[in-house]
Amino acid sequence: MILLEYANRIIIETLRERFSNPITTSLNIADFDGVGYRLSTPESKTLLVVSMRMPCFGELLQYGAMDVLRREYGSMLEATPEPGFEVTLKVDIEKVPQDYSDREALIRKIALLKRNALAAPFEQAFDAQIDGRETPLMAIHYRDTEVFYVKAGTDRVTVIFSTEFKEEQDRILGKVFLQEFVDARRLPQIQNAPQVLYTNRDPPLELRGQPGLKDSENIGYVTFVLFPRHFSKEKREDTISKIQLFRDYLHYHIKCSKSYMHSRMRARVAEFLKVLNRAKPEPVNVEKKTIAGKTFKRS
Amino acid sequence: MANTLRPYLTAVRSTLSAAMCLDNFSSQVVERHNKPEVEARMSKEVLLAPVVISRNENERVLIEASVNAVRVSIKIKQADDPERLLCHKFTRFLTQRAESFVVLRRKPVEGYDISFLITNVHTEQMYKHKLVDFILQFMEDVDKEISEMKLSINARARIVAETYLGQFIN
Amino acid sequence: MASAATPADIQQIVSVPISAHAYNKDRTKVAIVPNSNEVHIYDKGPDGWVLSDTLKEHGQLVTSVDWAPTTNRLVTCSQDRNAYVWNWNATKRRWDPDLVLLRINRAATCVRWSPAENKFAVASGAKTVSVCYYEEENKWWVSKHIKKPIKSTVLAIDWHPNNLLLAAGSADMTVRVYAAYIKEVDSKGSAAPWAEGRLTFAALLAEYDTGALGWAHSVAFSPSGGLLAWTSHGSSASIADPVSKQVETVRYGGLPLVSSVWLNEDAIVAAGHDCYPVLVARRSGRWEYIDKLDQQTKRAPSAALGSLAMNRFRQMDSKAQQGKEDTDLQSVHQNTITEIVRLSDDRAHVSAFSTAGVDGRIVRWEVKGF
Repeated sequence: MILLEYANRIIIETLRERFSNPITTSLNIADFDGVGYRLSTPESKTLLVVSMRMPCFGELLQYGAMDVLRREYGSMLEATPEPGFEVTLKVDIEKVPQDYSDREALIRKIALLKRNALAAPFEQAFDAQIDGRETPLMAIHYRDTEVFYVKAGTDRVTVIFSTEFKEEQDRILGKVFLQEFVDARRLPQIQNAPQVLYTNRDPPLELRGQPGLKDSENIGYVTFVLFPRHFSKEKREDTISKIQLFRDYLHYHIKCSKSYMHSRMRARVAEFLKVLNRAKPEPVNVEKKTIAGKTFKRS
Repeated sequence: MANTLRPYLTAVRSTLSAAMCLDNFSSQVVERHNKPEVEARMSKEVLLAPVVISRNENERVLIEASVNAVRVSIKIKQADDPERLLCHKFTRFLTQRAESFVVLRRKPVEGYDISFLITNVHTEQMYKHKLVDFILQFMEDVDKEISEMKLSINARARIVAETYLGQFIN
Repeated sequence: MASAATPADIQQIVSVPISAHAYNKDRTKVAIVPNSNEVHIYDKGPDGWVLSDTLKEHGQLVTSVDWAPTTNRLVTCSQDRNAYVWNWNATKRRWDPDLVLLRINRAATCVRWSPAENKFAVASGAKTVSVCYYEEENKWWVSKHIKKPIKSTVLAIDWHPNNLLLAAGSADMTVRVYAAYIKEVDSKGSAAPWAEGRLTFAALLAEYDTGALGWAHSVAFSPSGGLLAWTSHGSSASIADPVSKQVETVRYGGLPLVSSVWLNEDAIVAAGHDCYPVLVARRSGRWEYIDKLDQQTKRAPSAALGSLAMNRFRQMDSKAQQGKEDTDLQSVHQNTITEIVRLSDDRAHVSAFSTAGVDGRIVRWEVKGF
């Protein structure tokens, strides 16, 4: 599994089950980037409430998140979210479509709640760029110490991730990975992919003067340059989904590499122990005991 | 580079074989004690002159012999950050398993990545020539392992990057 | 002169290192130290050595054992700073220990009966040699100390055949010859050529610096007592002649030799970390390294395990290798030889010697061609 799914798998599976067999539900689910969901049935078994808690939702509202959510979820979207949550959807299980593919489409749509909320600034930037407008730099503090920025320029949309490597190991591995992202475009088959730039510690030009930039060796900035071909009508949905998950994708693979290293070292250490065992003489004619208490010598 | 590896390992092998001629030697300073003299360092005359064998400025072995113990410290090649990381992780991994690696010293000698302490008890319980084999195989394999791991991480990074970026054009 | 020694009898007595061993007069019993605080006595049986007695009195590793042939007494010394003389109690059929008042506060390293068996010497980490004798009126073993000018642990000692001189090799890289004449038990005798005139106890008669050659692991007087040989950590054997005041050093390319015995006035056999005995001999007036005496071309039959499938699996599992072929050395001993002892009463024409090793083996070697 190289790529990550961007729909929430637990939501999909829970909804599938509840839609066919409505029961009282109270379920808390976590997603990437500090996002949390609660699935509950406060009023009746057939009235499922899906709420999402999202730390950066306030910022997303400024970039038109409500419009996107209203467009996607229509009447399911509650005007006032449950206390402690930012977005609440209400699904009447009795009214879900009977047709399999329609029902799956609905389930998937709900599972994409986080993705859709985060899509707002991207959509704004893409729309502006197509219209030939520039946008100011939109900052989304999607994690405690990490931010991504979206900005439409005259001929491009720039997406910048700031990512923090908490451990020295992660920083070194992150550097190896990001270098490959930068270099990958040299391959002919992905020449048309977005350009990736990577800087360590020094923020790229676009971010100069931004408040709250941390000056630390552990912070890396990754810039994606998207040209109109990357957000054409057919592509934009996909592009948005994928670029959102960049940070999680990167860190997921760093963790995988670490666990690979670990298991490899474990195997190697076992191997070394065997080499050391070669230095130990064989025990000579040790007397052994059978379970019945008899002793014998193995020759 | 490979052509300097053989003579380097040969030199380490001969020095180690000579250094590993250990006897049971009771402390002449502390009554009823029997400690590795190379660690206790209380009687100068039972320590031998330490020997450093270097392949280049990044790879070297320090062999400190004494009458009843020999300490072997290895500096592993680390050319860049990933190699440093791998080496650090690897040596830490090993030292955490020092109990099973009876000859491993929990803390490396300063300036080195990993140290072994072989006492007369070890040479009595194990074949001395095989202990030498072990240290040499260790030196060879650590280098190999680190460079292989580094390659595999790079390969993974490349696949990860290509797969990710490839999504945007299909 | 084709000289050779063949391993006549290979006995895997124990599976732990043998720190020291000694035979009784007719070689029907052997005392070994199985790297512990005990001494085991084995009797020669038709199918090899059989454990007959265990001497338990020491609290720490026993470092040395010697068996007086005529009086049939054992003496042992240990890192617990004590030495015991063991007498065979025929009525109770056991060995009775007698504590020796060594008066040392560090480990004892080596013990040897004097040729006349009326005294013995104990080397120690206290930078002393204790020369012990029996005090009739008090009925105990007492000791006199040789201290000066030893600066480090004494590793080896040997008595001169005249019963009056003692050689000591120590970790301060010096070999010394002392007068060990004790007026209570010794009659006066000549100590030429090492000393002239009256001997006083602990008088330093000769001192040899091994120089850069390191710790003196073994010392040995020649059968006539006219020469003194020692082996040192720098893989060498040296022979000193008190008359000409010459020291000849034979460099040997292998690992250090830790024990040595004279075969006759012109040949020394020594062994140590190389796991095989080597011959150093005088040829046309010069001492030189001749050859190793273990001419094994195929591997010694190890006390191993057949080719049972089970063993192969076990090998694969624990060692990641199949056979045990490449584990074995091409020598009778598979690990360091700790001690060589003479097996002939005639010091001047030794026809057999015995080696004990860290591999737990005792090997009897027959000497031919001298």
